[in-house]
Amino acid sequence: MDAGMIWEWIIKSIFLILFMTGGFAYVTLLERRVLARMQVRIGPNRVGKFGLLQPIADAVKLIFKEELIPAGADKLMFIVAPVITVIPALIITGVIPWGTSINLFGREIALSIANVNVGVLYIMAVTSISVYGITLAGWSSNNKYAMFGGLRSTAQMISYELALGLSLVGPILLAGSMNVMDIVQAQKTLPFALLQPAGFIVYFMATLAEINRAPFDMPEAEQELTAGYHTEYSSMKFALFFMAEYIKMIAVAMIGSTMFLGGFQGPFVDQLPWLGPVYLFGKVIVWLFVDIWIRATLPRIRYDKLMALGWKVMYPIALLNVFITGILVVLTTKR
Amino acid sequence: MTEATLINPLDTLVDQFPSGWVKKDERPGYSGFIVEREHLLEFARTMRDDFGFDYLSMVTASDYLAEGKFDVVYYAYKTIGGPALIFKVQVPREDAVVPSLVALYPGADFQEREVWDLMGIRFEGHPDLRRILMWEGFEGHPLRKDWKEPFYEEDVKPYKSRWPEGKPVNADDRNPFNDNVQYPTGFDPERWVPEAETLLYSGLQRTTHNEEFKTDELIVNMGPQHPSTHGVFRMVVSLQGEKIVDLKPVMGYLHRNHEKIAERNTFLQNMPFTDRLDYTTSMSNNFAYALAVEKLMGLQVPERADYIRVLMAELTRIMNHFFATGFLLNDLGVYFTASLYAIEERELILDIFEEISGSRMMCNYFRFGGVVRDVSDEVLKKIHNLVYDRIPRKLDQFDAYLTNNEILRTRCEGVGVLTADQAIALSTAGPILRASGVPYDVRRADPYSIYDRLEFDVITGNHGDIYDRYLVRVAEIKESIKIVKQLLRDIPSGPILAGKPAYQVRVPAGESYGRVEGPKGEMGFYIVSNGKPNPERYHVRAPTFINLTSLAPMSRGEKVADVVVILGAIDIVLGEVDR
Amino acid sequence: MLSNWLYIGIFMVVSLFLPAAAIFIAGLLAPKKPNAIKNATYECGMETVGDSWIQFKAQYYVFALVFLVFDIETVFLFPWAVAYNQMTLFGVLEAIVFILILLGALIYAWRKGALEWH
Repeated sequence: MDAGMIWEWIIKSIFLILFMTGGFAYVTLLERRVLARMQVRIGPNRVGKFGLLQPIADAVKLIFKEELIPAGADKLMFIVAPVITVIPALIITGVIPWGTSINLFGREIALSIANVNVGVLYIMAVTSISVYGITLAGWSSNNKYAMFGGLRSTAQMISYELALGLSLVGPILLAGSMNVMDIVQAQKTLPFALLQPAGFIVYFMATLAEINRAPFDMPEAEQELTAGYHTEYSSMKFALFFMAEYIKMIAVAMIGSTMFLGGFQGPFVDQLPWLGPVYLFGKVIVWLFVDIWIRATLPRIRYDKLMALGWKVMYPIALLNVFITGILVVLTTKR
Repeated sequence: MTEATLINPLDTLVDQFPSGWVKKDERPGYSGFIVEREHLLEFARTMRDDFGFDYLSMVTASDYLAEGKFDVVYYAYKTIGGPALIFKVQVPREDAVVPSLVALYPGADFQEREVWDLMGIRFEGHPDLRRILMWEGFEGHPLRKDWKEPFYEEDVKPYKSRWPEGKPVNADDRNPFNDNVQYPTGFDPERWVPEAETLLYSGLQRTTHNEEFKTDELIVNMGPQHPSTHGVFRMVVSLQGEKIVDLKPVMGYLHRNHEKIAERNTFLQNMPFTDRLDYTTSMSNNFAYALAVEKLMGLQVPERADYIRVLMAELTRIMNHFFATGFLLNDLGVYFTASLYAIEERELILDIFEEISGSRMMCNYFRFGGVVRDVSDEVLKKIHNLVYDRIPRKLDQFDAYLTNNEILRTRCEGVGVLTADQAIALSTAGPILRASGVPYDVRRADPYSIYDRLEFDVITGNHGDIYDRYLVRVAEIKESIKIVKQLLRDIPSGPILAGKPAYQVRVPAGESYGRVEGPKGEMGFYIVSNGKPNPERYHVRAPTFINLTSLAPMSRGEKVADVVVILGAIDIVLGEVDR
Repeated sequence: MLSNWLYIGIFMVVSLFLPAAAIFIAGLLAPKKPNAIKNATYECGMETVGDSWIQFKAQYYVFALVFLVFDIETVFLFPWAVAYNQMTLFGVLEAIVFILILLGALIYAWRKGALEWH
């Protein structure tokens, strides 16, 4: 390993981070436009063509907003909380492969940040960190709505986390590895969503809760908690929460596409490796569209009902899914 | 209850109380009974328990300054239908104390507080007699005839010209601000500390701690600046975890003393003013006010006008119920989609209103003795298209996407339950009352206009929960469509206004109460005229204000998330609540 | 293999710059005119009563306890799933018994009412 390698990775990291940030900006636009269309409205279309400059205008506006820190707040935690929320959202994507590798400037560049052997465990570990950020934000604001939001996010976490973890055991069983790259390669012929429909659905629902999206957006339930955990946040710190939510939305869509929809796999990827990122991108967009669609459609579930759903429906299903998958794998592959 | 009292109780009522403390009200133009205040409770209990007047619809008071007394007026009904039982208590102005009826009719709670607040009549035995629309610490009782507002000009309109001889005069110069400003004794605006809040907070119920862990209660203000209180409305909630221990609604942020202003106005000037009450259902408000005044004037409305009136009232109902269900979904957390789809048809109805009255929301369409403009055949055709095509299609969409939606059902079923007895006792009206299984609809219970010729069903629910309120509203849209179809079929041609249009109407002295089944419940106007061009007393029975009495009983024991939905299912409009 | 973790480390450090830069730039550009009312805690326009940092009744604490137990047990399934293909039939059966025990425990907790909201 030399300095050049390190630079390569630094550049790759910056590239990925910029990509995720840009992705965040344009997912907000996509969401607003799609929601508007679904609601017989037009949506933002004034800033730039099709409103394409809207996210930039929003960012500029947010930067110039006054930052308020409530007098009663725990200042340090109040500032740290958005950072804690946004970093895990960013670094989950580190283990997602975008393709095998491409040749650029005479170097063989792997299309992922890292190819670790316990990738899935890494994903699981990192995703649960961001709940700390939310809980801390809610607590440190010293605001009642925020505190409710923060506490709800913990409640939410303990109701879907188990099902989420178990839903990923299926692909691991089928691929025989926790390495994300191996899992993608194992889906060369058939995406795991077809082999693991129950796991796929449980994953999808659990991640909706994970990213606090409708119908599981209890921590920021506007109707009762005004804005939930980020009630007191303004300006850039608010934007960071917003960013974390959308980046996480993209990240779980990427993970989901990788684990269940074959990741960057698609026709002719072997011949043309640059197609890999395109396929992954397409799958992610479809996934995000479904997320937005659900937001436009479903009422919010109440959080005791979510707990019941998580524990009494999703967890048993996920457990049975692992059980049945295990037996089927034994029957089909064991000597 | 004997059969005799069921059939014709009111004529012989005075004989039932031989000791003489119940008298017929024999002032010209007045009706009902005058009860001595010492016996009010006894009388009310007899009426409720033995005569079946279980529904206390309205409590108000009027100030007879010249005679030096207040009349406290009660309107009670039977939920099986029939005319009102009107009883009054007369008290001298200097000793304005009346026994409270809250113990008998919990629905009197807010209304008695309102009378105390605006009229200054104390209700002895009321559990929580605080001001309700004005703030605690306000000096005076604004509906009293001798109370004057800071910019008081004259007692009644029309005021003196503001540009005498062509020169404008600034009203502020005529009435400097300080002239009528009243402060309590010892009040210093600079050093004022709101004490009323502590009174409010300490009034909340607490839980008794008998659980494993000792946990604290949290008092949270939901509102006035809250995204889902449908306006500036405030609920003070005490919470144990996410469970609601007690709730107190606080209102009056939008209070403008509608009734005082209306008493300064002339009779006709009040017609557009009623639009501003519940600004989503101006036609129904007009309707009730027109009925009240017409009763006093003894006007007969031409048939075509009656048809048009009912047509507009039913379109208003359709519109309002779409609005209510759409925004109920919003309160449940659907991000606007359902509400925007729901108000698509509302827009078309508003187009029709605009075409006939010139305004989409503040219609000011009714006149005493009819309506102001005729409805053209084109508009009728448009309405025809709406009720035969667009609205049924929208209702089918509702059924397909909402009625059996899993999340909607789990969030709404069994939440905010009000039993039939509670609903009656709390004087709720409209869809809330009917969702609790009480088939009480003014259109049937006490038919007005041409409703007795129309065929429609009174929709009731079985469980009295939010889901039933939703179902009742949707079904009521269907019934309204049925009514509109009949109206379109039968509408006669002819005049639309009795007599000549006039700016100044002559209203004989007396009292009257006109009520209609508004979309949100019984909308009523209590009018007292003294023969002059301005009403002596003008009181609005605001359905959502009274329906809010049921908010706290419905919310106790539910979760925070449910309160918003419970409030949404009451379907309040703050313009009417705060008046 | 270890170098992969180094890359993740690099990634993490680089990604720290994003929020840091954002907060820094906003700190430079944003106006700062605090006053007592602006910095008051938001409670729908009313002054807050009481403390928000209280002994909160988290109705779901039993869930949290059950969660801890199950979460740890679930983690055991991950290495098992990885090593699945190399396992003997005995190992497979053992894991299946383990899953059944988990299910049994869940049913037990369910029956005991631990999964009800208090």
